[in-house]
Amino acid sequence: MNLEDVFCSKLRMKILKIIAQVGELNVSEIARRLGANYQTTSTHLKILEDEGILQHKVFGRIRLYRLNEHSPKAKAVQKLIDAWEHANKQ
Amino acid sequence: MPQYRSIFKDETKLDINFVPYRLPHRNRELHLLMEFFSFALQFPERMTQRVMITGDVGTGKTVLSQRFGADITREANKRGVNLRYVHVNCREYRGSLFLILHHIVSIFHPNFPKRGYSAEELLRMLLRILDDESTYVILALDEFESLIEREGSEAVYKLTRLQEIRQNKPQRLSLVCILRNLKAIEQLDASTRSTLQSNIITLEKYSKEQLIDILNDRVSLAFKPSTVPEDTVSLIGELAFSEAGNARFGIELLWRAGKYADAEDLGVVTPECVRKAVSSIYPAVRKNDLAFLSLHEKLFLLGIAKFLKESQKAYISLAEAEQAYAVACEEFNENSHSHTQLWKYLQNLSNVSILKTEVSVIGSRGRSTIIYLPRISAHELEKELWALLEKGQE
Repeated sequence: MNLEDVFCSKLRMKILKIIAQVGELNVSEIARRLGANYQTTSTHLKILEDEGILQHKVFGRIRLYRLNEHSPKAKAVQKLIDAWEHANKQ
Repeated sequence: MPQYRSIFKDETKLDINFVPYRLPHRNRELHLLMEFFSFALQFPERMTQRVMITGDVGTGKTVLSQRFGADITREANKRGVNLRYVHVNCREYRGSLFLILHHIVSIFHPNFPKRGYSAEELLRMLLRILDDESTYVILALDEFESLIEREGSEAVYKLTRLQEIRQNKPQRLSLVCILRNLKAIEQLDASTRSTLQSNIITLEKYSKEQLIDILNDRVSLAFKPSTVPEDTVSLIGELAFSEAGNARFGIELLWRAGKYADAEDLGVVTPECVRKAVSSIYPAVRKNDLAFLSLHEKLFLLGIAKFLKESQKAYISLAEAEQAYAVACEEFNENSHSHTQLWKYLQNLSNVSILKTEVSVIGSRGRSTIIYLPRISAHELEKELWALLEKGQE
């Protein structure tokens, strides 16, 4: 996927922001914080995972998503969000 | 502007959660715990351990376990073993196995959801996390009774036998169960009991001398030099001993007495500060108790209170009390009673816990009775007695 295709979605940007801030979260909680339904959230999470930005771990029925620590894309996303938040605070 | 000078060097050393580097009179038990878990430093994956620590309130169960936890974790890290000590107060989690396990899991995954699975599933998840991270956990379950009360044998059984469902996998979870007495264990079924009862460390009640050692240790950590006299420490030791050898009570009293000394800018923690501190913890001696005393009991007590207030001492000998009583009698135009009669008053006042007596050995001259006020400040007591005696004269 092209950069613009990944980042054109407001929900995907919000997902990245939430995960960058809290570190790790399960699908239902991400959906709750987004104000979106479970299915929509899952779809966006899958897209971000397919791009290598996110990774997940399964514990029974629970999927915990986090930034993929081995991915340069994830590192760039984390830096972008940190810089953005920092600049907004100043 | 007057400068505020505190007698404290670092009052956090008197906090209930502070774990001192040295544990006076608990070294043997600490070594024993380290012995029980020595495998964890060499072959952590090959076995797990279960130990129970029992003892009354304030005998050092929690601090012993926490000191051990800090020591073994440091030693394990030095050897490259990924070991974590997790201390959980079961009562804080209402004795729920689910909440306790959730707390442990959330150490590894802070946002782990709270809903959607059972305690058993959570236990399996925990083991998977430990496998994934090649981590070993020593789980200290403080106030273990509340877990037994709420969950019964089933939960304890699950915790102690979980390796049986994980054949050929590394052993991950050891237990330290901390409880006041072993009676709670009797509620468990025989097979669960048998998995727990092999290693028991029983902490005996501290003696007065041991409590004084502990208090002196904390004094040197928390207070500036020469601000807490020996007399004061001895009085606190005495009071803590009378509270079933409760060291925690003694340490709290020490802190509180320090606060009273600071509030009055005394620069030193006097026995009177301790008495004020005690009366702030306990309900002070009830006015009713004083009102029902006979005139001469009141006068006797007044003499003692005045002496302790003016001398700033922790104790008064019976001979000194008799002299102080004679002065009080003069003040109220009363003839003083005999020594035998005073002895009876002393017993009576001691029985109603207004004062306490102790027999001490002074040099080679034999035994002597010393008297102290455990629960009320001498100042407060004097004020109350004056009011009552003056009212009686009207």
